[in-house]
Amino acid sequence: MFHWKKAVVIATAAVLALAGCTPADSGPEGSSGGTLTLGLLLPASTFSAQGASWANESPYMQAVYDGLLRAEPDGTIVPHLATEWSYSDDLTVLDLTLRDDVTFSDGTPFNADAAAQNLIRFRDGTSPNASFLVNLADAKAIDDTHLELTLSSPDPALLTYLTQNAGLQESPEAFDNPDVETVPVGSGPYTLNVDETVVGNSYVFDKNPDYWKSEDQHYDKLVMNVYTDSTSLLSAIQGGQVNVSTTSDNTTADQIEAAGYTLSPIENNWWGLIIGDRDGTLNPAIGDPRVRQAINYAFDRDAMLQAAADGRGTVTQQVFPTSSPSFDSALDDTYSYDAVKAKKLLAEAGYPDGFDLIMPSAAALGASNFTLIQQQLGDVGIRVTYEEVQVNDYINTIVTGKYAVTFMALQLDPTDWQLSQFELDKTATFNGFHNDDPTVQGHIATIQTGTAEEAEKAGKALNAYIVEQGWFAPWFRPELNTASDATTDVIVQVGNSYPYLWNIKPKA
Amino acid sequence: MIRFTIRRLVSGVILLFVISSVAFLLLNLGAGNVGRRILGPQGTADTVALKNEQLGLNEPVLTRYFEWLRGAVTGDFGASWFTNQPVDQAISSRLAVTLAIVIGATLVSGFLATVLGVWAARRRGWADKLVQVIAVLGFAIPGFLIAIFLVNVFALNLHWFKPTGYVQMGTSFTGWLSSVTLPIAALSIGAIAAIVQQVRGSVIDALRQDWVRTLRSRGLSENRIVFKHVLRNAGGPALSVLAVQFIGLLGGAVIVEQIFAIPGLGQISVSATAQGDLPLVMGLVLVMGAIVVIVNLLIDLIQGFLNPKARVS
Amino acid sequence: MTESALNLSPDPASEQRAVGSHLARRMLRNATGLASMIVLGLIVLAAILAPLLTQTDPALADVRSILQPSSAAHPLGTDSAGRDVLARLLHGTRYSIAGALLGTTVAAMIGVIGGLLAGYYQKGFESVSSWLVSAIMALPGIVVLLAARAVLGPSLWMAMAVFGVLLAPAFYRLTYTAVVNVRHELFVDAARVSGVGDLSIIGRHILSVVRAPIIIQFAFVMGIAIAIQAGLDFLGLGDQSVPTWGNMLNDAFARMYKSPVLIVWPSLAVALTSTALALFANALRDELERSGKTKKRRRLAGAAAAAPVLAGEEAVVHAELGEDTRADLLTVDSLVVGYDQPDGILKQVVNGVSLRVKRGEVHGLIGESGSGKTQTAWSILRLLPDGGRIVAGTVNFDGKDLAHLSDKEMQKVRGRRISYIPQEPMSNLDPSFTVGSQLAEPMRLALGISAAEAKKRALELLARVGIPNPERTYAAYPHEVSGGMAQRVLIAGAVSCEPDLVIADEPTTALDVTVQAEILDLLRGLQKELGVSILIVTHNFGVVADLCDRVSVMRSGLIVETGPARSIFADPRHPYTQDLFAAILEDGAARGQLDHSADRHTATQGVTP
Repeated sequence: MFHWKKAVVIATAAVLALAGCTPADSGPEGSSGGTLTLGLLLPASTFSAQGASWANESPYMQAVYDGLLRAEPDGTIVPHLATEWSYSDDLTVLDLTLRDDVTFSDGTPFNADAAAQNLIRFRDGTSPNASFLVNLADAKAIDDTHLELTLSSPDPALLTYLTQNAGLQESPEAFDNPDVETVPVGSGPYTLNVDETVVGNSYVFDKNPDYWKSEDQHYDKLVMNVYTDSTSLLSAIQGGQVNVSTTSDNTTADQIEAAGYTLSPIENNWWGLIIGDRDGTLNPAIGDPRVRQAINYAFDRDAMLQAAADGRGTVTQQVFPTSSPSFDSALDDTYSYDAVKAKKLLAEAGYPDGFDLIMPSAAALGASNFTLIQQQLGDVGIRVTYEEVQVNDYINTIVTGKYAVTFMALQLDPTDWQLSQFELDKTATFNGFHNDDPTVQGHIATIQTGTAEEAEKAGKALNAYIVEQGWFAPWFRPELNTASDATTDVIVQVGNSYPYLWNIKPKA
Repeated sequence: MIRFTIRRLVSGVILLFVISSVAFLLLNLGAGNVGRRILGPQGTADTVALKNEQLGLNEPVLTRYFEWLRGAVTGDFGASWFTNQPVDQAISSRLAVTLAIVIGATLVSGFLATVLGVWAARRRGWADKLVQVIAVLGFAIPGFLIAIFLVNVFALNLHWFKPTGYVQMGTSFTGWLSSVTLPIAALSIGAIAAIVQQVRGSVIDALRQDWVRTLRSRGLSENRIVFKHVLRNAGGPALSVLAVQFIGLLGGAVIVEQIFAIPGLGQISVSATAQGDLPLVMGLVLVMGAIVVIVNLLIDLIQGFLNPKARVS
Repeated sequence: MTESALNLSPDPASEQRAVGSHLARRMLRNATGLASMIVLGLIVLAAILAPLLTQTDPALADVRSILQPSSAAHPLGTDSAGRDVLARLLHGTRYSIAGALLGTTVAAMIGVIGGLLAGYYQKGFESVSSWLVSAIMALPGIVVLLAARAVLGPSLWMAMAVFGVLLAPAFYRLTYTAVVNVRHELFVDAARVSGVGDLSIIGRHILSVVRAPIIIQFAFVMGIAIAIQAGLDFLGLGDQSVPTWGNMLNDAFARMYKSPVLIVWPSLAVALTSTALALFANALRDELERSGKTKKRRRLAGAAAAAPVLAGEEAVVHAELGEDTRADLLTVDSLVVGYDQPDGILKQVVNGVSLRVKRGEVHGLIGESGSGKTQTAWSILRLLPDGGRIVAGTVNFDGKDLAHLSDKEMQKVRGRRISYIPQEPMSNLDPSFTVGSQLAEPMRLALGISAAEAKKRALELLARVGIPNPERTYAAYPHEVSGGMAQRVLIAGAVSCEPDLVIADEPTTALDVTVQAEILDLLRGLQKELGVSILIVTHNFGVVADLCDRVSVMRSGLIVETGPARSIFADPRHPYTQDLFAAILEDGAARGQLDHSADRHTATQGVTP
């Protein structure tokens, strides 16, 4: 028999009990020595050092692994597992001196042999950045504390790479573990608590009691929560459930600040167009530099910054970061918005009535961005039609040169060499048409093998040439904001989407 | 009945086989360059090619399908392409979370919809109108808005609950209850709207039957008639709706898990499907398919219990 | 629910046609129906007239006027690409409605055709289709959509067509059930026997039966399709180049914290359309259900209105034949029963009935269908259907006025003091419970005896009412026993709690002639044995002659003549009673002239001997 009244009483009691049991102050605990809760946008794609990702995933890696070198917030390279290093004169041999007091969490000692294995393994693995070590011909242990790296050709960014995922050190004993992808064995300040971790959602780390550099362990416990949805991220921040988090959506900045968080911005990518078909193979019009310049003139960059990034960022016309010596603020006045000039350039190039241009679109990258590109190019006579591609394959269409012009956000690499290898060199991933411009290649060669002074000069010349030739149509560098609560201090890292873990500390 | 159950289970297994085959082929139609997707913008062409080779993507689709099938039959579903977590682990840890929320929402919405539906059917008049309005509103308001509203009111303003996250039942029962309350509420509102109409209609239908008058003439109390006899007769159609709702709620859990950052199947099914994480999606297809088969079987068995005429021999 | 409406009609095909022609008019009179149709009309109008209502191009972007508030140029402001929100909303109506219409049509075509074939041919078709339905339900829609998108490219129409396939089970189930229900109806058999082809039967007879539920389902599913269409675009699975409500939602959601009002318009449009469609379907269903009801009420009312006999007219009272020392058990005095109509008017069906039943007496209440005799019986038990109530008069039973008893007290009277034997045995047993449990349950509650004791008594009762194998019948479900058996069970139930008065409402009408006699024997035997009073409602003078001590003749809600059975048979004085007797002599049956106007509140009338 159904006891209606009894059921109501039970239900009411349950609700009351529930409300009563729940603490109202549900923020993350304590400041110093307690737990640090981080918000991240991506889950760890792997915990194996061989396949390690960086940028948004750097906190996972830095919690469990040590790198050979370390970068200061401004990018200056300082010792870590390697205490000293020196290049041969022809820049093809790098000698490193390693610490002798480090052991991995499985008890295996860290030594030059382990380091050599890790480097070779990373080079041959499938980390997104495996190419960082593409120039590493061999890594040899001289003795326990001396490591010799032989390069097939000089690599000006090698030391920087060794501060990132390419330099992470995992216990060689763990290489063949069946769970190597999910259970890391490193020498880092924390160890992954596998039992409390829910892969893809919440990662828990315990303090490594035997860590050799205990001054970097600011907390007893780390929790890294993944928020793939900007609404849930905002809820977590507003509910005080994270101490520090990157943010994915600048339109929520006001809400985040209203919740008592401090926003620390960095600018580490640029948005705009990759005008890739510089030889005019797909679309002859794009082969003409005047057309590429016209495209640059067609954009109202301030309006684009407002529309696409809520005005948070800096307009720019070059792809080099402000931290690079090759950056030249004068270049940012090359193509101020001028539709008349754009039409004139098109007419000069032989397109007085404009031309048709097919571009890829992916709704997930912000449908309105594509609409605005279409509108502004349309205003100067370039008629854009879109082919919608799956967001997953969008990058692939760019790197395989399927479209003459594409909208993209690209990272601002800290060194000119990295930047060239990423988007300028004839073999660069984001030179999808593999344009082989002698001027560009010449400057890149100087950057690789020249002295610091020669390299700096070449970098400046390269930047100016790229801008003048209209290889890209950059609009702006958007702010990437790290939110931190009142109990936590954060120093942002130039060129990295997430602050480095040891730069996140309890407020004094 | 046991033979019926076995027959249904066998046909369910065949169903799963067909669905998984279709899904595997469909997923490969839209696969694109998987290595590039996994490695993102930074991977070079060489690394991408190496990744594709490692995943065996250079093999023909049929070879890979039989490879997958052989693994699946022996219980090896591979590992996620994007988080490298073994698929069986990824799903088993999350299945419980999603089931807790979906079963919770089914119970809550089934109970409340029954109460409201019976109330509307018995009172008619304004109560009926009120229930209809609730049902239509619940039907018309998008689920994600309801979820965001609940977060803002009960978590961010009243601080009764935490806005995001999930507490394992084993860690703290009250913590768990607190972490699933808002998600269940968000899911239930839409489901109540769908079920209440059916309950109301079935109860009204049943109340019109001649045997209700006869039962009344025997001196049975109104509550007894409604809750024992009428509900049992109205239960069949209502249960069918509830079953459809249950399967629908598995879909609804996607949004709710996203907004509340809950580690359930919905959360990974979004990312896995969007990324084309084939091993994980295949695992999800199998689990979801199995749930559908089991739920349908259970419903048929319960229908037999409720309706003697439909009882299977 | 629709099925029950359909079951009322003797020939669903012709009934449907009649319903169809009046339905439109009735929908206009139904407040919800009218409102939803107005809203839907406006939405369709907006879609058609979109280019006239706004001169702005919905795709015209302007990077320098993004997220503008409402202004003269942009009445609803602009979106994140500087496009006019009003223009997008109006033009979006076209695409959203067309997309939903396409998806629903595809679903309906596949589902209905599949359902018709599976329902009509059963066996092979049925198992294949139901298997396909399970497969569609189990296959994750998003995987199918993504694959279709990868192969066919992004298209609103393609996505909705694919979704149509996924929604087809909604129509399949409905059609299948409806077809199975009518497949064995007489008119289908008749058509088949007369050599009509399968296709023609499906097309003409069966399709017309399922048409109304399909229209309702179409409106419901289309409401869902509108939401799904929005959801697909919202997820970026549609075509972002066309203005749809979903694309607007997608855009608004990305700017939710900057310009929250943007989310309002598309949400409102989706919600309004879905709601209007759902309400439209609801109203349509209500009207279809009401169609049977309203007509009945109207005819019922007509019968009362046409009655020339005024309330208060004196009935012809025959003198008692001898000294009857038995006390009065039931005294009904000036009972008026009416039904509240939706328009507020009270339709009277009993206009002032007075009658007396003495202890141990069998009292016949005789009259034609619609004369109010069943209504009188039900009002004594206070078991009038929805809307019916005792308007005036008293029902004095053993010193208590039942008309004014509380529900709770009345509940104690029922079963234990007054019990009831219904007319139609098969529909008066709860199909979900065994015969035995339905017999034992009231005894346990009313007499407060244990379950075991109740079972023992139930078995005794079953044996007493002439059921050959009480144990088996006790465990049987209602659908497993015959009509005659069921009536015996109901009689056993009526006497199980040892009542003082049994009200039997045409207890033999629905039964075969041979069984009728047995049941009357049983009633007579039980009456003698238990000494209960019986008020027997009948139109059959044979029953009266067989059983009754006294008779009241009813017509148009009034008693016209009352007295000992023998005197009335010997000397009917009221013209109406005389007519009734004349009718028996002419036709051999009292109901000859009444058959065609058989309307009562219960279901169908049985066959008359």
